[in-house]
Amino acid sequence: MDRTSGNASGAVALTGVNAMPAPTWSWLKMNDTAVEIPAGLTPAPAAVSVEPAPGSADVVSANADAFDDALVAAGKRFASRARASAPGDARDHVALAAGEVDPMDVPALSRYQQGAVRVEEELSVEEAFETGMGAEAYGYLRSIGERPCVLEVPSGASAQVRVRVSGTPGTASVASVDVIARRDSSLELTVALNGTGSEPGLIGAAMRVFAAAGSRVSITTVQTADDAFISLDDAGIFVDEGAHVEVSHTVLGAGRSYTGLAADLRGDAARIDVDTSYLGAREQVRDFNYQIRHLGRRTTSSMDANGVLAGASKKVLRGTIDLMHGCTGSEGAERETVLLADERVDNKTVPVILCDEDDVAGNHGATIGHVRPEQLFYLGCRGLSPEAAEALFISAKLEDAALNAPDDEVRANVIRLGETVIPGFGEEIA
Amino acid sequence: MAKKRSEVADIDRSLYDFTYGEEGFERLDAGLTPDIVREISERKEEPAWMLDFRLKSLEIYLKKSGPTWGPDISGLDMDNIVTYVKPNTDQRSDWESVPDDIKDTFERLGIPEAERSYLAGVGAQYDSELVYHNMQDTAAKMGIVYSGIEEALHEPKWEALIRERFMTLIPPTDHKFAALHGAVWSGGSFVYVPAGTKLDFPLQSYFRLNAKGAGQFEHTLIIVEDDADLHFIEGCSAPKYNVANLHAGAVELFVGRRAHLRYSTIENWSKNMYNLNTKRARVEEAGEIEWISGSFGSHVGYLYPMSILAGRRAKSSFTGITFAGAGQNLDTGCKVVLAAPETTATVETKGISKGGGIQTFRSSIVATPEATGSAATVSCSSLMLDADSRSDTIPAMDIRAKNVDIGHEATIGRIGDDKIFYLMSRGISEEEARTMIVNGFASPVSKELPLEYAVEMNNLIKLEMEGAVG
Repeated sequence: MDRTSGNASGAVALTGVNAMPAPTWSWLKMNDTAVEIPAGLTPAPAAVSVEPAPGSADVVSANADAFDDALVAAGKRFASRARASAPGDARDHVALAAGEVDPMDVPALSRYQQGAVRVEEELSVEEAFETGMGAEAYGYLRSIGERPCVLEVPSGASAQVRVRVSGTPGTASVASVDVIARRDSSLELTVALNGTGSEPGLIGAAMRVFAAAGSRVSITTVQTADDAFISLDDAGIFVDEGAHVEVSHTVLGAGRSYTGLAADLRGDAARIDVDTSYLGAREQVRDFNYQIRHLGRRTTSSMDANGVLAGASKKVLRGTIDLMHGCTGSEGAERETVLLADERVDNKTVPVILCDEDDVAGNHGATIGHVRPEQLFYLGCRGLSPEAAEALFISAKLEDAALNAPDDEVRANVIRLGETVIPGFGEEIA
Repeated sequence: MAKKRSEVADIDRSLYDFTYGEEGFERLDAGLTPDIVREISERKEEPAWMLDFRLKSLEIYLKKSGPTWGPDISGLDMDNIVTYVKPNTDQRSDWESVPDDIKDTFERLGIPEAERSYLAGVGAQYDSELVYHNMQDTAAKMGIVYSGIEEALHEPKWEALIRERFMTLIPPTDHKFAALHGAVWSGGSFVYVPAGTKLDFPLQSYFRLNAKGAGQFEHTLIIVEDDADLHFIEGCSAPKYNVANLHAGAVELFVGRRAHLRYSTIENWSKNMYNLNTKRARVEEAGEIEWISGSFGSHVGYLYPMSILAGRRAKSSFTGITFAGAGQNLDTGCKVVLAAPETTATVETKGISKGGGIQTFRSSIVATPEATGSAATVSCSSLMLDADSRSDTIPAMDIRAKNVDIGHEATIGRIGDDKIFYLMSRGISEEEARTMIVNGFASPVSKELPLEYAVEMNNLIKLEMEGAVG
């Protein structure tokens, strides 16, 4: 269902974006977000380019149904694993209505818990599949992009592909990508989201990934847009038996940046590692939603976020490890480290563990703080003022992004952004 | 291969699950109307401002919607809840004059014995009214006031103070059940500890909800003035019925400069209870609030004691344990607002779920721009005792201050087979080994309780653990 609403001025208001699966108190204003997209943006499909590395050209497929077909086929394999019954499920409510059980013996599930039981008992793989930003935002992004680019890596093959989105003012440029990494294949996918100019524009990616048994998929996204841009980066990932997906998100630019990722670890021994690095400066907004759903046995997930917030920037990071019934032997870990480089920043973090299985391990940790007094003292002894010390951490974040940039073009974009935060940054790392 | 599990047996809660009739009791009609609110106020001969407050609260209640983020409360039909049940006695100050059935109830719960042994004062509420209240002469001579809040409201000396503070920390606009409380509150305690006064022995209030299909809405207001010190203990229980009962009490705590208040609670409501309780403390400069909280009963629980650290170097600590068994969905945790420089907060919680029970740890740490140099640490651990149970952890942090240091750690898992094996290899049965491990898991909470309450908590764990071998 597309609930996208356009208002009288032609602007688009997306609601329920990056919604946490299990919400918390509404007054904290963390559960989800609304995204206002200005009127008058023109879709610009030409701003999106797909660049297979030499020898990888044949992975660009014309089979538009490849992803859906793969998901349906997987669904048939996993149908037999549906949970037979759960406390508080629909069967219990039928028994309640018939007066067969004491109402006080049936747990009063929350909305999220009711939904989780439906995923465990009733929903097929394709019905349960979702992206991190939610159906409304995903539908909007897909409506902007042209036909999705389908990358289909044959069994046992390896490929490297780069997708570039180069936004310009007054346009909306979105890469729609379906990835199907067949059994024992490997894919390195780089997504470069960039936009330059001082007038509003939108850049984004809407990605679905099917990592078949034994496959290896690496996705590196670097976002380096100017402040006038909105960035929407949405992904849904299905991970089959023994497959391993690595995701790296580097968010440096855009006035408002929204990143969503949902992963379904359905196959046994499936694994996902998500590494996020972000920088917020001036009035920038950083909004993340990660949902990792463990359904297979012995599945593993890790989420590691590292960020620096400066100026009057705002950030929300929602990270959910969902250990569902039947995922015995699974482990999920989540960690965030945030450096607050200015007293005007607003940093919100909500690291969630949902657990419906006992034979699992889930843990998370967060460290939020400024440069410690002892660190400042150490640096002060070496002639650095507190302001210079904090600038050093920001510079380090940018330098790290520049040094690890996947190509020269991305590196140049990182340096361009670095100059807006730290004048002379380009010369510093040259 | 699937691990072998044995059935979880029913537990014996006869210590708490006993009832007496309501002969001679007065029950208002079920439901919630302005006339019922007026009648409650009239019976208590309240000042006019309180009736106005109640009626405004009722308006707010009728306009507000219920929570959408927590356990389902659609099974709670306010049209079927009796908001006021008056027992067949007035408040007494000696146990002998309390009617036999009510006295027997509290004796079985060990309250008079506790009073004789180690308490400086006791209040006992039965359904909607206090039936017993007493404080030792030594405490009274120190200038400490411990009385029913309604009794204090009729003292001109205290009415002004109560009016100034009543439902200012928990305004009726806060949430739907705070508004409900504002409309129909009844009973509860008022404590005033003068500046510089330190009470060596705790005060205790015990709340017993005996009536089927009724609500209990007691209000506790405690003021600990500058440099004073108090330990207050709250206990709650009820027999089990097959219809919903409701507890929507409110606790407001004011902790003065350099003052210290420890607030300990063992909530052991029956498993047909909707426990929608609200507790909040405001702490001034260098003051300290300590929350010790054990949540064992209830069909549904929403309980998040909140600390507002309003003065420089104010401190809060929250130590809590929640044990959810079959049919229970307990959503518990705490809230902290760091609202002044150099404030500190620590949160340590343990959650245990068993037999299909659900426990959720939910918290918020908010640092306002004024909280420069503040620090908070949150540590929560959850133990799953079987695969049918559920344990969720939803901590939120909103940090807007300079030079703050916020740490958060959480773990969820089950009892390791290696630990069970170790204990069994030394001749301990599996059930006993599991109970020992769970007691050890809960020890950060029990060690903070007075000995008698720690024993009660360990007994509750033992009751919950019976048959939990799997």
